[in-house]
Amino acid sequence: MKGEMKELKFSVNGKPYELEVKPETLLVDLLREELKLTGTKKGCLVSACGACTVNIDGKAVRSCSVLALQANGHEVTTIEGVADGDKLHPIQQAMVDHGAIECGYCTPGMVMSAKALLAENPSPTREQVKEAIQGNLCADEGYVKYIEAIEIAAREMRGGH
Amino acid sequence: MEETFGNYSILGKAIPRVDAKAKVTGQAKYAADFEEANMLWGQIKRSPYAHARILNIDTSKAEKLPGVKAVTTGKDFGGFKWGWSGPTRDEEPLAVEKVRYLYEGVAGVAAVDEDIAQEACDLIEVEYEPLPGVFSPTEAMQEGAPLVHDDRPGNICVEYHWNFGDVDKAFAESYLVREDTFQTPRMAKGYLEPPAVIAYWPDPNRLVYIGAKGSPYFPYRILARCFNLPLSNVRIITPIIGSDFGGTKNDMTPADFSAVMLAKKAGRPVKIVTTQFDTLTTDLRRHPMWITVKTGVTKDGILKATYLKAVADGGAYTRMSPLTMFLVGTCHTLPYELPNFKYDAYNYFTNNPSSAAMRGHGLYHSRFAADVQLDMIAEELGLDQVEIRLKNSIPNPKPGEIYETVNAVHLATCGVQECIEKVAEAVNWKTRKKKVEGDKAYGMGFAAATYNSGTKLSAHNACAAIVRVCEDGSVNYLTGATDVGQGSDTIMSAIVAEVLGIKLDDIDLKRVDSAFTPVDPGSYGSRVTVHAGEAAKKAADDAKNQLLEVAAEQFGVKPDDVEIKDKKVFVKSNPNKNMAWERLVRIACYETPGKVIIGRGYSTQGISMYGLADFSKGAGDIGTNYSFTAQASEVEVDVETGVVKCTDKNVIAHDCGFPLNIQAVETQVQGGSYHQGISAAMYEEFKMDQGQTLNPNLVDYKRPRAYEAPMTDVIHVITNDPYGPFGAKEASEGSCCSAPPSIVSAIHDATGVWIKDLPTEPEKVFWALKKKREKGQK
Amino acid sequence: MLAAFEYFAPKTVKEALSLLAKYKEGAKIIAGGQSMLVVMRQRLLTPEYVIDIKGITDLDYIKYDEKQGLKIGALTTHRTIEQSLVIQKHFGVLSEMEGNLATIQTRNWGTIGGNICHGDPAGDPAPVFIALNAKLKLASSTGERVIDMEEFSKDYLEVALGPGEMLSEIQIPTPAPHTGTAYEKLMVMKGDMGIVGAAVSITLKAGNGVCENARIALANCSSVPLRAKKAEKVLIGKTINNAILTEAGEVASTEADPLADVHGSAEYRREMVKVFVKRVAQIALERARAA
Repeated sequence: MKGEMKELKFSVNGKPYELEVKPETLLVDLLREELKLTGTKKGCLVSACGACTVNIDGKAVRSCSVLALQANGHEVTTIEGVADGDKLHPIQQAMVDHGAIECGYCTPGMVMSAKALLAENPSPTREQVKEAIQGNLCADEGYVKYIEAIEIAAREMRGGH
Repeated sequence: MEETFGNYSILGKAIPRVDAKAKVTGQAKYAADFEEANMLWGQIKRSPYAHARILNIDTSKAEKLPGVKAVTTGKDFGGFKWGWSGPTRDEEPLAVEKVRYLYEGVAGVAAVDEDIAQEACDLIEVEYEPLPGVFSPTEAMQEGAPLVHDDRPGNICVEYHWNFGDVDKAFAESYLVREDTFQTPRMAKGYLEPPAVIAYWPDPNRLVYIGAKGSPYFPYRILARCFNLPLSNVRIITPIIGSDFGGTKNDMTPADFSAVMLAKKAGRPVKIVTTQFDTLTTDLRRHPMWITVKTGVTKDGILKATYLKAVADGGAYTRMSPLTMFLVGTCHTLPYELPNFKYDAYNYFTNNPSSAAMRGHGLYHSRFAADVQLDMIAEELGLDQVEIRLKNSIPNPKPGEIYETVNAVHLATCGVQECIEKVAEAVNWKTRKKKVEGDKAYGMGFAAATYNSGTKLSAHNACAAIVRVCEDGSVNYLTGATDVGQGSDTIMSAIVAEVLGIKLDDIDLKRVDSAFTPVDPGSYGSRVTVHAGEAAKKAADDAKNQLLEVAAEQFGVKPDDVEIKDKKVFVKSNPNKNMAWERLVRIACYETPGKVIIGRGYSTQGISMYGLADFSKGAGDIGTNYSFTAQASEVEVDVETGVVKCTDKNVIAHDCGFPLNIQAVETQVQGGSYHQGISAAMYEEFKMDQGQTLNPNLVDYKRPRAYEAPMTDVIHVITNDPYGPFGAKEASEGSCCSAPPSIVSAIHDATGVWIKDLPTEPEKVFWALKKKREKGQK
Repeated sequence: MLAAFEYFAPKTVKEALSLLAKYKEGAKIIAGGQSMLVVMRQRLLTPEYVIDIKGITDLDYIKYDEKQGLKIGALTTHRTIEQSLVIQKHFGVLSEMEGNLATIQTRNWGTIGGNICHGDPAGDPAPVFIALNAKLKLASSTGERVIDMEEFSKDYLEVALGPGEMLSEIQIPTPAPHTGTAYEKLMVMKGDMGIVGAAVSITLKAGNGVCENARIALANCSSVPLRAKKAEKVLIGKTINNAILTEAGEVASTEADPLADVHGSAEYRREMVKVFVKRVAQIALERARAA
C-alpha cells in the first residue's frame, strides 16, 4: 500500500530504536523531526553540501541521500553522539581550541567526516584530510583551520605524535 | 602559534569562541531547529514569470484543502511598502499588482504539515499577464524599454556623478593614460543555512518572531510598521545564525512577512523553512558590475587621476543599491594617493532577483578593477608591482595627524605600506622565479585593498549595551549586536571581561531578544567590533565605576586608586589591600540597601552621519576608520585546459588596527579571501536566461571546497587606531577585495593573459590563451 | 520531499527479481540512491513501487582470478572498490577513477551498479569499463544474460535493462600482456562530474612495442559514453609517438558530440577531448610499456 508505514530497527548514538516510518522519509528528516536530533543540518537539497553528514557503521554518509528505512539494521551516529557526556571528543576539542568554528552550520558535518576519517586512518596526510572534507561545504573560514584542527586531533588521538 | 599582541589579559590573543562548544556538539539551535507547540508549516507560492501583471489570485481551493489553516496574499498587507530607507520603499511583502522577478512571492499558506502546505500552494490559482522584461543594464537603458517600476523612468535606480579635483587636466599632464573595462559576476552570498522563521502572536497585540536575521532591529521596525504595533510589542528573538555575508538575513523576505501574517490569521505559530533552491533563485545577490577605469600616471608610475564608471544590475527592487554604488566610489581614493577623482555610477532596475550588499560591499568591484589596472600600468612602464604600490601608498599618519583624501575621507591610521612590505617579504617577492612544469604554469599576483570600518548610516545608528553584574559575580551582557558567525559574541564578551578585570567564562552574553536587549543596527558595514565594541567598553566601564565606588569606600581610598585584574580588586598604591571580585560584588549587592549594578553604554564614534543625500555628493566619511590589506596569491594554470588552481602559497597582511581575537581575525581573513574573494575570481557566477537562473543548485553553482583551498598565512599589522575600541578596526572585508585582483594578477604572471571579466572559468582562460598563442604566431 | 510509494526490501536476488517481475514498469530499484534520490527529492521521478536492494549483501563482493579476471557484485560500494587492494594492484585505473568520483560520503553509500544503471553519460565508471572491455551480467526471474558494457547505454539516462531485469555483476577480463589503462576527467574541483572525460586502454605487441589494440571511451561527450573508434584506429598498428597521440586526440574530438551547458560550450568540450584523449593515451601507453 502506498504510504504504508514500515518497521525500522536501528540504533542511533548507541540507543536502539524500533519505529514505524513512512517509506518516503529521508534519514535526515527522521533524525531531525522524529528523534529531535537537530544537530544534523539541511543545506542544499542536491547531495552536495555535506551539512547532513552522519556516520553509518562508522562511515561518513549524507543523511539527506539515504532513505530512513535503509538504515535498518545499521548503527547511526550523529553529532549528538560524538562527545562523551560533557567531555568533547578530541576532534571537537581541537576545532574549538584552534578557532576553526565560525557560524557553525557546517561544523556537525565536518566533525562526522573527520571522525570517520580518523577511525579508518589515524595518520592521514594533509591531502587525505582535505579529501575527507571535500564533501563538506563551508562558507566562512576558508577550511584552513578545520584542516589544521583535524591534524591536531589526529596527533592527539595517536597519543601526541 | 602562541602569538599575543598588546598587554591585555584576554584581548590580543587567540580567544576560543564562546559559542563554539554548543556548535561543535550540535546543541546550537538555528532558526530551522526551533519548534513551537501547535505549530503550522508555511510555504510561499511564487511567480513563474520574471515580469507579469497579476490579474487575479484565487485561493479558494487552497483554503478548502483539509489541513490548511490560513492563506495570505499581498492584499492582506493593505498597501504596505518597505525598503532599506524611507525614500527607497518600493517593495511589498507579497506582490500585489505586478511581479518583477522570477519566483517572487505572491501568496503564502500555513498547514498542519509541509506536504499539505505545498499541495495547497499548488492549488492557488494565479492569473498573470506576462510582460516583456529587461534582463541586463544594456537592455534596461534602451529607449522605450519596458519599465520595471512605472514611476522610475529609464529603469534608473541609482545615478551619481562626483567630481573631485580636475581629472581632465591631470590626464592631459599624464605620461600614460589607460582605460580598461572589467566585469564582476552575479553571485550568491554563499551562506549554507537557508533562511528560516517561526512567528507567533502570544496575544492579538504582541508579536514574537524567531528568525535568522543578522540585523534583527530591521525586522523589529519594519514589522512594527507593517502590523501597526508599538515597538515595545515586537519581540525579535535571534537564534544562532548560519552566516549572512551582508544580505537577505539582513533584510526581509516574503517568508518573513507571510509567517507573521499567517500566524495572525491562523492563531497558531507558523514556521517557514526556505530551501537552498529558494536562496539560489530569490535571495539577494552580489551586483554584477561593469567597471571602467581610466587612470593617468607619471612616467614613474605615480597616480595622477582616475575616472571611474560603474554600471550595475540592481535587480527588481532598490534594496541597498544606493549604498552599494556609493561604496564602489567612496574609497577609490584609498589605499593609494589619488589627487583627482571623477565617478559616474549607474545602477539599473532589471527583472532579475535583487542585488544588495555582500561582504566587501561596493569596494570589491572597484578595487578589483583598480588593482588589476595598476598591474597593467606597471607592466607598460616596466615597473615592479610591489614597487608601484609602495610608491603610491598612503603613508601611515603620525599619531595625532589625520590624512584627508580629495573626497574628504579621513584616516587616522593606514597600515597599507607595512602590509605590502610584509607580504612581499613573506613570499620573497624580489627573488621569486617563474615556473613552468610540463603543461602547468605557475605565477604569483599581488594586490592591496582597503575597507571602510564602523559604517554609520542615517536612521539606524543607535548602538547600545548593558552590563548586569549578578550578585555572585557572574555577568550578564545584553547587546543588540548579532553574531552571524564572525565571532562578535566572543569579542563583546572579551571586551567586557577585559574592562571589568575578570575572566571570559564569567560573562554570559544574551543574544538579541528585542524584549530585553538594547538596539543596535546589526551585522553589516563592518561596524560591530568598532561600534558595538565601543558600547561594550563603555557599559563595562560604567558598571566597573559603580563597583569601584563601593571598593573605594571599603578600602578608604578614592575610586581611581582602585583597580581590578584577574578577579582581584586592589588598591593601586598598596596592592596588599585587596579582596576577591566576588566579595566586592557581594558587598555591593547585599549591604543595605543593596545596589543593582547595571552599566550602560552607547557608541558615539563616527565622524559624520550618512544619508542618501550625502551619497550623491560622494564626499565625507562613511566609515569610522578604514582597514588595509595586501595579498600575494600563487596559482597553477593548466595551459592546455585553462583550469586555474590556487597553490598553498597565499599570504595576506591585514591592518585591522589591533586584532582583538587573533584566531577570529585569521579565520575571517582566510575565509573572506577564499569564500568571497577567490571564489568570485575563479568559481562563482549565476548564469541567467531571461530572468531565469540556470544553475540554482550547489552542484552547478560552484562554491569553493577544501581540496582547492590555499593554506593562507595571515600576518597581523598593528596600527592602533584611535577611533576603535582598543585600537580596533574592521577585520577581513579587505581580504574579500584584495583576493580577486591578486588572482587575476597571478594568472597574468603565469600566462601573460589578462582575464578582465570574472570568474576566470577554465573555458575563458583557454580561449584567452589560444588567442594569445595565435597572436604570437602571426 | 519525496512522493509516497510502496516499499519493499528484499533480502535475496531471487526475491528482488520476483518483485520486479510482478510490478514491472511501475517499479524502480534503489540501491545506494546517490543518483536516484536527487531526482526523487525534486519529484522528477515518482515511482509507485520502490524495490530497495541495498540490503542484498550477496551482491557486495569483489572476486579476482588471474585467468577469469575481476568480478564485482553490483552492490559493491564505490569506496570498497576504491580501497580494494586487489583492485589497486590489478586494475588500478578503477581505484583511481573511484578516488575522483564525487566525494567520500557519496562513495560510502553509492554502489557501482546503481551508478551504471543510472545511465549518466557524464558518469565515470562506464567509460572505464568500456575501455577495460567489461561485460555486465543481467538477471531476471527467467534467467541471466551477459552483454558488453558498450551495449548497455542506450540514451541519456536510459540503459538496456529489459522488463524485470536487474544488473547483478560486472565482469572485467584480465588485460592482455603489455596493456595499460588510464582515465582522467576535466574537473574544476576534485570530485566534480567531468566537463569531459577520457578512458584509454592500450595494448602493445610484445617485442616491437607496436600498438596492437586500443580502446577509447569518452565521458560527457554524447548522450551515452562514447567509444571513439576512429581515434582508436589512429593508434592501432602504429608505434605511438607524440604526433600520433595528438592526431588521436583530434580525431576523437570529431567523433565527440558534446552538449553545451553552464560548465562549458560544445566547442570548448571538443577542444578538451583533444587534450584529454592525448594525455590519457600517453599515460596508458607508459603503463603498457611498463606492464
